[in-house]
Amino acid sequence: MVEARVAQLTGVHAVSALGRGADAQLAGVLAGVPAFGPVGRFDTAARRVTVAATLSEVATLTDELAVAIDAACRAAGLDRAQRTGCALLLAVHGGPAPGPAPAVLAGQLAARCGLSGHTRVYTSACVSASTAVADAAARISRGDVERVVVAAGYLVEPDQFALFDAGRALAVDGAVRPFSAGRRGLLLGDGVAAVVLESSTVRRRGVEPVATVVGWGRAGDAFHPCQPEPGGNGLARAVGGALRRAGLPPESVGYVNANATGTAQSDAAEAAALRRALGAHATRVPVSSTKSVHGHALEASGLLELVVTALALRHGELPVNAGWLGPDDACPLNVVTNGPQKTEATHALTLNAAFGGANTALLVGVG
Amino acid sequence: MTAPNSPRSCTFCPDESDQPSKATTETARSPEERAGERARAFWPEGGDGGGAAAGVPGFVHSDFAPVVVAVAERCLRRGYGSAGVPAGVRTGIVLVSASGDLASARHVRATVEAGGRIGPLFFFQSVPNSVAGHLAARWDLRGPVVCLSPTGDPYTDGVAEADLLRDDGDADEVLLILIEQAPDGPTEAVAVLLGGGARP
Repeated sequence: MVEARVAQLTGVHAVSALGRGADAQLAGVLAGVPAFGPVGRFDTAARRVTVAATLSEVATLTDELAVAIDAACRAAGLDRAQRTGCALLLAVHGGPAPGPAPAVLAGQLAARCGLSGHTRVYTSACVSASTAVADAAARISRGDVERVVVAAGYLVEPDQFALFDAGRALAVDGAVRPFSAGRRGLLLGDGVAAVVLESSTVRRRGVEPVATVVGWGRAGDAFHPCQPEPGGNGLARAVGGALRRAGLPPESVGYVNANATGTAQSDAAEAAALRRALGAHATRVPVSSTKSVHGHALEASGLLELVVTALALRHGELPVNAGWLGPDDACPLNVVTNGPQKTEATHALTLNAAFGGANTALLVGVG
Repeated sequence: MTAPNSPRSCTFCPDESDQPSKATTETARSPEERAGERARAFWPEGGDGGGAAAGVPGFVHSDFAPVVVAVAERCLRRGYGSAGVPAGVRTGIVLVSASGDLASARHVRATVEAGGRIGPLFFFQSVPNSVAGHLAARWDLRGPVVCLSPTGDPYTDGVAEADLLRDDGDADEVLLILIEQAPDGPTEAVAVLLGGGARP
């Protein structure tokens, strides 16, 4: 019998205001202490909101990404020879920005890190990284490639900060409160992450995978340029796609790291999507949004959240949903509010949604 | 299918320089046929007369969104006429652009640098997903929304992503849009409808 190919996470690395490295991310999301503070990187005097989750010391995005890719490859046990021919899928903000253009950046990173396969740059806003992971998993599972590096980065900078401030998307009370009554909006956060995805059929070096990407789904709302469809149909179809690819029922999901940004309509739409996709299980499965501690890393959010979801599941403890003030009738979910929660779950969803009604679901498994 | 009034030269057309000549391969299919194109449209085309694309509600300052909508709707009308996309068909959108919305991004950069305040509409059009969402809502396009910055030939990058979405099962067909906004020249775009019928 031929073994089905699945995409395994064999090396992960991430940086956020919670700290540097995978262990720092896990410790940070389990501690549940929000990392938001005054922005010192640029002048915020003209803004309504002046806080974000930023690292105190940060290099250029190019250098941070190069370090992250190298660290993920080393964690996967890939030497320079084994990186040859490996593809790089990169998720960053598109268009003009300080530093090299996205395509140039991808080329520079591939050269610096010894990845000589094809490159692709995703600029799909907040589903950029999760779409890249879905694409990588699809290509590995159908046998196109054996190994893909996915990297993503966003470092809080003045232009996006000003745009989110102008759009009144930032939480004026300085806290992110996903699914909670009294939530006021999102806050931005630094995020740089890289993962190595490899085919399960590549037996080598005795490397123990962190987790397996067992399912994924991508779907559109067809509703509005920047508002989510209130019924959650698009996100529910993405979750359905992930479960279908994994061949698992809704009850197999033991944790959901929600997209929940702390925004009134978006969190309610996501709760509706979970009810639609998971049925009665939606009110039982533990749910939290780690954006409540590390902030919204925009194009990088999907990868940072995949890393913390996989690590938490493997560790057996679920991240707390910080900022909780009390339940909201529009979000009837089992939100993890009183500290990290022990679990024996083997599968978890990590969800992302973006402007344009773009939705993704990634289903990871351990054990 | 080739659109009428196509420009003689096209920024986004696939590079055919490495293809065998038709003299030696009479039965060879074009790159467009191999990609499974069902409809194609350009902005501008001959009948546009150098005019601006019609404005799009909620989008300001830049012709990025108007040109995306103009070329995409022209392509969808060629593919579907007035009937629209049939119910149950999941049409994905793949938008490929190196420049992105250059005009808006430059306005934001200059305003922030001068210590000013940005109008809220710039937030809503700050990523290419937004105009894709506008199209999806108007045409009931329920497949994935993917935006790429090309690392090679934009058409080849876009078709590869569209093929992946279709082969992987999240889209039945894909509306591929290629657009570049030049700093001092006209904005050019092409849209193609890929798949949905029998795969080539």
